[in-house]
Amino acid sequence: MPVNDLGFRGWTGERSAQWLRPLVIARGGISLILKRRWLRFMLIIAWLPVLVPAFGIFAFEFSSTDPVMRRRIVGMAQGLLQNPELAEVIATDPDRARHEVWATLILYYFRVPQLFAMVGLIGLIAPLLISYDLRTKAYLMYFSRPLTPTQYIIGKSAVIWFFLAGVATVPALLLYILGVFLSSEFSVVAQTWDIPLRILIASVVLMLPTTAIAILYSSFTSESRYAVFSWFATWVMGAVTYQALSLTSLIVERQKGSLDLAAANEIWDRWRIVSPYHILGKVESWVFGIDRSSTSVIPFVLILTAITVIGFWIVRRRIVARLSV
Amino acid sequence: MRDVSLQIPPGVTGLLGPNGSGKSTLIKALLGLLSTQAGDGRVLNHQWPSQTREIRDSIGYLPEDDCHIAGLDGIESVTLMAQLSGIGGKEALRRSHEMMDFCGFGEERYREVESYSTGMRQKLKFAQALVHDPPLLILDEPTTGLDPDQRLALLRRVRTLADRHGKSIILSTHILPDVRTVCDHVVILVKGEVRVVDTLENLSRPVEPTIHVTLSGDHQPMANRANMAGHTVNWQAETSTLEIGGIEADQTSQIWQWAAESETPVRRMQPAVNSLEQIFIDVAAGQSPGEPSTSANGLEVNDAGQ
Repeated sequence: MPVNDLGFRGWTGERSAQWLRPLVIARGGISLILKRRWLRFMLIIAWLPVLVPAFGIFAFEFSSTDPVMRRRIVGMAQGLLQNPELAEVIATDPDRARHEVWATLILYYFRVPQLFAMVGLIGLIAPLLISYDLRTKAYLMYFSRPLTPTQYIIGKSAVIWFFLAGVATVPALLLYILGVFLSSEFSVVAQTWDIPLRILIASVVLMLPTTAIAILYSSFTSESRYAVFSWFATWVMGAVTYQALSLTSLIVERQKGSLDLAAANEIWDRWRIVSPYHILGKVESWVFGIDRSSTSVIPFVLILTAITVIGFWIVRRRIVARLSV
Repeated sequence: MRDVSLQIPPGVTGLLGPNGSGKSTLIKALLGLLSTQAGDGRVLNHQWPSQTREIRDSIGYLPEDDCHIAGLDGIESVTLMAQLSGIGGKEALRRSHEMMDFCGFGEERYREVESYSTGMRQKLKFAQALVHDPPLLILDEPTTGLDPDQRLALLRRVRTLADRHGKSIILSTHILPDVRTVCDHVVILVKGEVRVVDTLENLSRPVEPTIHVTLSGDHQPMANRANMAGHTVNWQAETSTLEIGGIEADQTSQIWQWAAESETPVRRMQPAVNSLEQIFIDVAAGQSPGEPSTSANGLEVNDAGQ
């Protein structure tokens, strides 16, 4: 029992503005998730892949003074990246190639390790948000305060945005800063000033639709395992279907006759619609200015926009419907 | 709900009604959690339903459902609610501790809410409803799951908040003794309509003033005297109580005189009041409160109140 019980006392302090209240939901959600040791461990693991592009930037900057290293990088651009134009620019004018090299490395970071980290991380975090609230009826506690369903959704989404920024945006920005410090002079900032902006835009492209899908599944059920299963199924089945359809189309086209790079790229783009991972890849490549496909990016931007808008709209309806029970 | 028109005065108001009568719907509509097709009003000087967020900011709501935020300790839950009400930083934590002290929490405030018993969760919800010091509290079945001691303690807190701190409290409950213990006013809803809005005192007053006199020995001489004086008399053999109608509580000298004349020992004398249970049953059956019951349920219309 308390040492000194004051009983009930009135409170007449200053209250914060109502529009700041979603921040409280976000902060509460973040601290709740950070309590979990396995998740803290996973966040640390998610940072490790940044070493690969960091080494790439280091190697590229080092190649300006080391011809052997430059030859290796040129070889990698031709072989691994299948980008002979870039290889030629690196060989002849490394300063002019810097922007594309950095953008390619950061895009690689966004596309490969961080997308996997994102899928894994959100798959484990998102069900803790709305599904748990449905199970424990916590939404009644939230909505006993002056919150709108939209503010609630923003607060919950902000939890995901925080962790995504932690595993994708922040390391990518640090990667850029590392590149600036590793380069021979600070004038590289003038060449690459747009890369941080592109990182931020790519982060928004990554965060909004993925969060909409994640909380949509989370709002459909109070059984978090179903939400987790649906989330992973969306990514895995989408990617598998995309690969199967694209490869089948490529084989068919090759049997018909010659297949040039442009036609192959057109086929790869044709089936992106079935895979969220590959839609994101297309738009992120475009954001970083290294999309080499001739297919317009606009349909894919529209698809991501539609997923985001419809996803959040359905979540809002689900929450309002819950309150009516 | 339809044709709902009511004015709830300050003090503790009991919101009664059978299951499905619309109590929770009314509360959720007041909070703006349910949209209404028509109607308007004022809640704490805020326009309803256009200013429901301001209304919610001024209300402490204890939901009927077992609801909590998973993964949080008791103190964290209350602090989160304080912060959602706009109380910042350390002040939210300080205030939360103060409310948990007030609600009788000890060290268990540092335990996860999932490990709480039903009664502790009710107390936690009460602390959460109070933490931002709202002028109006809406408590939906607050004593559900509480043991008798905790139930009395919670009702005492409710009464303290109303009497000493000027809170208006709406208490939605099925537990009629709770209403009798703490409420000043009663609203009874039936099938989405408001059937009764009155003070508990008015509702408890019988149509005809009646005194219940518990006697030892033969009641007949005293009953005869009361009869001869023009009063209606009814003998309840089970409780040895003579019900004398048409006599006010300040006219007991007359009863003492009859007792002395008939040499009848009087063990107890008490003004009759309407039973809240009977009022509830009558209203639910579509009768006016206090109107003689025609149902064959064996309950009296009037009985000795507590």
